[in-house]
Amino acid sequence: MKHTRASIVAGACLMLAGVPVLAHHAFQAEFDANRPVTLRGTVTKMEWINPHAWIHIDVKEADGKITSWMIEAGTPNTLYRRGFTKDSLAPGSVIVVQGYQAKNGSNHANGRDVTLPDGRTLFMGSSGTGAPGDKPEKKPGG
Amino acid sequence: MTSRSVARFVAGACLAAGVCLVPLRLPAQAPAPPGSAAPAAARPAAAKARPAAKPAARGWTVPRTADGKPDLQGLWTNATVTPLERPDGAKEFATQEELAALEKRGNRDEQARADAERGTPAAAGGDTTAAPARRSAIGDYNAIWWELGKKALENSRSSIIIGPSGKLPHTPETVQRLAANREYERLHPADGPEFRDNIERCLAWITSGPPMLPTFYNNTYKIYQTANTVAILVEMIHDVRLIHLDGAAHSSPAVRQWMGDSRGHWEGDTLVVETVNINSKRGYIGGGGGRSGIAPNNDKMKVTERFTRTAADTITYQFTVENPSIYTGPWSGEIPMKATDEPLYEYACHEGNYAMHDILSGARADEAAAAKGKEKK
Repeated sequence: MKHTRASIVAGACLMLAGVPVLAHHAFQAEFDANRPVTLRGTVTKMEWINPHAWIHIDVKEADGKITSWMIEAGTPNTLYRRGFTKDSLAPGSVIVVQGYQAKNGSNHANGRDVTLPDGRTLFMGSSGTGAPGDKPEKKPGG
Repeated sequence: MTSRSVARFVAGACLAAGVCLVPLRLPAQAPAPPGSAAPAAARPAAAKARPAAKPAARGWTVPRTADGKPDLQGLWTNATVTPLERPDGAKEFATQEELAALEKRGNRDEQARADAERGTPAAAGGDTTAAPARRSAIGDYNAIWWELGKKALENSRSSIIIGPSGKLPHTPETVQRLAANREYERLHPADGPEFRDNIERCLAWITSGPPMLPTFYNNTYKIYQTANTVAILVEMIHDVRLIHLDGAAHSSPAVRQWMGDSRGHWEGDTLVVETVNINSKRGYIGGGGGRSGIAPNNDKMKVTERFTRTAADTITYQFTVENPSIYTGPWSGEIPMKATDEPLYEYACHEGNYAMHDILSGARADEAAAAKGKEKK
């Protein structure tokens, strides 16, 4: 962790020197870096709202119990520019979310990475951003 | 350091890095008129391919409104990977190689591709305990959430701030006050919503300024113009700046607004805007979004901005900030704002601000845990 934090500081200073904090809100104020979660769930709703969109998913636990989670995404404005819309993750879509649980212990987590069941990581395809609907002209031959 | 204080530490570390090296006396450098190149001696040969400010393109004439003034209207972006303050050791103007490296480092799409090449995390479900296979270097958000732009400033400068140091010229007293603020924030991380940043509270962003500075995303501006008013619609956070051109005096200093009171006039083809009466709750530029620690004294703060249409796709935006209560002297910056065909989207900042609830309740959970003498894993 120590090394990771040092990297975070160095990287952030390098690139965000003109920026006062790390997101609309400071990640570390809302989420607990010591509570990483990996959630496989079914999308029930997309809240297309600022300052952050939220993806609602139902997660089936090992004992069969269904637990509802809310996953914090980015600002809709930026997502929309990248070709991601409110309808990109339709209810019923299955996704895997890797992120961190809220410090308050609720079933809120940030969506650090969102992956489809076949292993494709949402947004991070081989051309452009990989976002649904993204124009594939960003990479030669892509 | 607790892990959740890392974010704040980053801001503090950046700030400290900035303030520690600031010379106590900084010669003021006003922005040069757009189109004038930097002194040849100050510019490496490699940077010459990217002029400091584009002179008017051949065959291009400044578009004008019906009353003959330069037409600033349209959609513009100030997104850039160039930092506000000059990195330590960097020269005022970067070489082509340095600019390319800066763009590669700052480009979130590049990072996303690098992440993808390293392999995606296992997609097995149901496990709520496994640590993510990799971690982001930035606030633990995937690159997709960011939109800082892909390019360094086309004026080839290594920082938005111009001048010999490229740093914010904080006075020694300001350095002490900022340190005191960090300590205050450490002791009162989230006592109530008023203890959080203005940006988290959807009150004010650095994008609306003045000066108008780029942020993580949504760096889009739409300018509307009449003979007596220029209005700037700022995507973050749904702000509108009204710049009055009617020659009237500034409003009473008793009235302090988040974006101050802006009055403009034309100097040749440059719109010059002077802003005073800025609310002290705005916080320090480059020093946090403004929390309820020790607010800066903005009584004498004055921001002078210059908007010059220098190409079909460029407004050269220059600014000078004066505040003897905070700075050893005036400091200036320059951003070529680029035309964009991206629409400006509504950013209704508080329509779903779950984060504030989570932050406050998270702090209460921390306090309860501390009271029980328990340490979270």
